[in-house]
Parts: sequence; structure tokens; C-alpha cells
Amino acid sequence: MTTVLAVCVAVIVTVSIYLMLSRELKSIAMGVFLLGHGANLAIIAMSGSPVLPGGDLRQPPILGDGHLVDALPQALILTAIVINFAVMGFFLTLLVLTARRTGTLNVDELALEDPPADGPVLENGGIGGMGR
Amino acid sequence: MTDNLLSLLVVIPLATAVASLVLIRRRLAQRVLGLASLGSMLVLALGWLSEIRDGDVLVSQMGGWPAPYGITLVFDSLSGLLLCAGLVVALGCYVHSFSVIDPGMERRYFHPLIQLLIVGVNQCFLTGDLFNLFVGFEIMLMASYGLLVIGGSRRQMGQAYKYLVLNLIASTVFVISAGLVYGMFGTLNLADLARIVEGRVASGEGLPTGFVGVSVLLLFAFGAKGAFFPLWFWLPDTYHTCPVPVAALFSGLLTKVGVYAVARTFPLIFAVGEARDVVVPLLLVSAAATMFLGVLGAVSLNNVRRILAVHVVSQVGYMVFGLSLMTTAGLAGALYYMVQHMIVKSSLFLCCGVMEQHAGSDDLGRIGGLQKRDRFLGVAFFVAAMSLVGLPPLSGFFGKLVLVREGWADYWWLSVVALLTGALTLVSMLKVWTKGFWLPPVASEPTPGSDGGAGSGDLRGAYVGIGFLVAVALFVGLAAEPIYDIAFHAGEQLTDPSAYIEAVDPHGLIAAGGVTGGGG
Repeated sequence: MTTVLAVCVAVIVTVSIYLMLSRELKSIAMGVFLLGHGANLAIIAMSGSPVLPGGDLRQPPILGDGHLVDALPQALILTAIVINFAVMGFFLTLLVLTARRTGTLNVDELALEDPPADGPVLENGGIGGMGR
Repeated sequence: MTDNLLSLLVVIPLATAVASLVLIRRRLAQRVLGLASLGSMLVLALGWLSEIRDGDVLVSQMGGWPAPYGITLVFDSLSGLLLCAGLVVALGCYVHSFSVIDPGMERRYFHPLIQLLIVGVNQCFLTGDLFNLFVGFEIMLMASYGLLVIGGSRRQMGQAYKYLVLNLIASTVFVISAGLVYGMFGTLNLADLARIVEGRVASGEGLPTGFVGVSVLLLFAFGAKGAFFPLWFWLPDTYHTCPVPVAALFSGLLTKVGVYAVARTFPLIFAVGEARDVVVPLLLVSAAATMFLGVLGAVSLNNVRRILAVHVVSQVGYMVFGLSLMTTAGLAGALYYMVQHMIVKSSLFLCCGVMEQHAGSDDLGRIGGLQKRDRFLGVAFFVAAMSLVGLPPLSGFFGKLVLVREGWADYWWLSVVALLTGALTLVSMLKVWTKGFWLPPVASEPTPGSDGGAGSGDLRGAYVGIGFLVAVALFVGLAAEPIYDIAFHAGEQLTDPSAYIEAVDPHGLIAAGGVTGGGG
């Protein structure tokens, strides 16, 4: 069971790294989200294999006696999922707003958006339209 | 301490953030509330800091659950000193923001975001276990993402993703390594981990396979947040796009939390045994490169805010230098350096903001003669800049003195890099001072559309913020000894963690049983 999880994590992380190497922010975002899922799977593997050497399954951590599943990694993942979800929401919003403000989601074109030395420094405009 | 009073440092800003959300349309109420929150936390933290002058450790076990099971908050010399410095910085920047922040941004949740940032920072400093450190990081980062794009201008939007993506990757790596640590040791409590690791090394049992790998992964995660050498590229690109008080707050708080996480966990757990031989050389090289490349950037740039931003990177190098020594005085020096840097760097950013208000630009080719126009600003900037450089009576000097002296015996080359970096820092700061304040302006006519009218009228809050931070910076320099004493206690606690472990986790329930979570 642990081997299966390990292979899943490896595949997910590989795909996410491939996505993150793209020049499009959309793909990068998807890669980052996928990496989060890979991390969660890696943590669940830390609670050990659910199958005991005899072939029995571990018991839920609430009831039962003998071999219980370690509940702590699940609690950690729950927290991580919530945080991931919030960040995902933020990132997607940022993508929409970036596309709206700059007209592109290509990393190279965004780099051109920012000439280093000049350009107005105090930007007080551009607030009213945020999000609407 | 058996009660849960330490949690006030997290509860107060959280409650304030919620209250600010309710009062989102009432600017004055929000400001008063925010000030009250930051001020009361500073008073509490200073009170506790004076209580632990002699190197005690205050511990709160949440809900009365003993250490390895419950959530633990720890207020020792390291976290206490940084908490106070962080709150001073936050207070200075907050007061400053009153006169420079755009009203539109205030309606866009500026005040709640500031309070949430403080929630995250305080939790990072106080927490006693690895997973809550992650949660603290995430709270802080979520708030900082919001503050980074507040206002939503084109330039902010175009740069924000770098910070976001790098931090997301670093957080993911952090959470994976936290999971691996749990898999290896069956606990995430720092004191408990330290006890187990120490016991295994002492008994010759050896550390589990992959321990070194986890150490390096965590170093990557913290290094990305702390802007260590190969991972600092996001910083100069983002700090110059957001509003000045936000940039000042970020420069004071965000990278320092990354450095703090290294200082907290590595001497205690992740640089023990064979991991030390891998981590210390990495830190040494990173320190040298961070210091030197950062300051080279500063010398070559011509734009005040960018110069200050790359100086943040360069100064982080000094802290990493202190950490990499892993000796009592080295860690104490790093901590003292962090405290003075947080305050000095934030005040420099705030000064830069007022310069922009006056001159309409922060490009050194276009501004000049500001000393004549604003004496107070010139003096404040000069004092802060010289503190950053480290001229003798000022705060930077003592930090550098301790580090260079401590590093000289074993790593003289690193000390030489540090001194060279100091000299180049002087060059770049004098460049800003001479071109910005001393020489007459290049263009004789005032820049059209500059905020001259608005700028001169309501800058009182800005001056109060700068004055406060510069005064504290002077105090940190002139009264270096009491602060360095506390830093030295922190160094002692880090190199000999028995007091910390005793205070947090006197029973060592998991450690005694030797149970590990699962194992693959």
C-alpha cells in the first residue's frame, strides 16, 4: 500500500514540476495546486500502511481496540487542505485580475511590464476597479 | 506559567482583525482599534521580556494538555526579543501608514490584513511545534499576499505571482518535511524532537535514514521565506511595487521569520549529528553569497527602493553568518543583528516613502536637495543608514562586531566578506544620501503632479512613525548591552537546549516510551 502511495506521489510531483516549468501562469498555478495534493498524499503515507502484516486492516481511530490508524497525519492533512484551498482561491483570483490589468498571463510578457528604473512610483490609481 | 496568557499575543490581533472587518467603513475606529491592539501587545511582550531577563522560559500549554499532545506556546529569550522588535516595527509602520496610505486601500481591508499578518508572525515566534510553525507561516503569508497586491495596480499584479509561487512551493516542501519528521519520530513538538534526536545521537543509535534529507528540505523551505542566497530573487521584484508602509513592514518582518525558523529548529534538532556536517557548509556558502551578491546589487542600482530591497537580502546574509557558526556568541550576534536590522530597515523604507512623496520619484538620477527641504527626514535617514552600515555608536556596529569577532577564528574568509560587504554598504548608502539629500536637484523645476501640496500638509503620522523607529534604533545601539544580554541568553538556550526542553516538556511522555508513529 505504501508503495502504491509512493508511486502516486512520484507521478503527481513529476506532473506538477512539468506544469510549473511552463511559461503560462495558468499552468504554473495548476502545477502548484497539484504539488499540494502530492504533499498531502506523502503525509498520509506517514501514518503507515493501513494493511497489517496479517492481512487485517487497521481500525478507525475512534472505536475499536488493538491496531488503530494514526489519526494525527489526517489532522495535519485536513489543515493543509484548508490552507491549500484558500491559497488556490487567492491564486485564481490573482490570475483573473492579472489578466485583466496587464492583458497577459505569459511570464515573459509580464516581465516586460516592469521596466526597472523609471515609470511612476506612487501609484494611487487603479483601486476602484479591483475585483469588479 | 500554567495559564494560557501567552495566547493573548495571538488572540488580540485576531480579534482586532475581525472587529476591523465589521468596522470596515469607519476609518478612525479601525485606526484606533489597530493602534490599541499593537500597543497593548507591545506592552505585554515587553512585560514578559523583562520577566525573562535572566534566561527563564515562559510556557503556555493550550487547554492544559501537556506538551507533546497539546499546542504549546513558548516565550523564551529568542522569541521574546523578536516579538518585541516585530511589534515595534509594526507600530512604527502602522502609524506611518495613517498619513500615506490611500483611503481606497484602507477600505480594501488594509487594517484587518495588517492584524492578520501580526497573528501569523506572532504565532511563528511563539509556537513550540513544527506544524503550528507551518500554520503560522501560512497565516502570515496569506495576509502578505493580500497586502502585496492591495490597490491592485498593474505593476503589483505583474510581479505578485513570483512571491506567491515561490512561497507556495516552499510551504509545500515545508509540509512534506513536517510529515516526514512525524513519520520518523512520531512527534512534532520541538522540545520532544530535540530530546529524541539528542538521545539517539548520545546513545549511538544513530538518526533515521533520510534525516539529513529532511534537514536540507527544511533549509530550502525556510531559506526561500528568509531570502537566503539562491532563493532571494523574488524579493527585489516585489518590495518596490507595494505601498511604502507595507514594504517597510515586509522588510522588517517577513524574511526575519524565515531566519527565526532556522535559528529555532536547526541548532535544536536539524543540525545535530551527521546533519550538521551537511547543513553548516550550506549555510556558510549561502551566507557569503547572500551578503556579497546582495550588496553588489545595491551598489549597481540607482533607485532608492530597489537599493533598500536588495540590502534586505544582503543583511540577511549577516544573520545566516551568525547562524552558521552554531556557537553561543554567533547565535546571539545573529539575534542582535536581526533585532537591529528589523527596526533600522523599516525606518529606511519609511524614509524612502517620504522622499518619494517630496520628490515624486525615488530615482536617484532625478531627485536631490532634499536635505534643504526636509531637515528631519535627512537626519533620520542618515542615522538609520549609518546604523545599517554599522558605524560605531550605532546599532549595526555591535551586531557586526560580535559576528566578525566570533567568526574570525574558524571562518576568517567569511568575516572578510562581511567586512567588505560593510564597506560596500557604506558606498551605496552614501550614494543615496549624497544624490538624494546633499547635491542640488538635477531638474530645477519640481516634478509635475508630485504630491507637494498633499505631502507637506498631512505627513505628521509619517514623521511620528519614522521618528519612533529611528529613536528605537538609536536606543538599540546606545543601550546595546541589555539587549545583547538577552540575545546571549537566547544563544545559550539554543546551544544548550536542556532548559528549553525542561520548561516545555518536563515529562517527555513520547520520548520515554520510544513509540514512533508508523513507519513505512
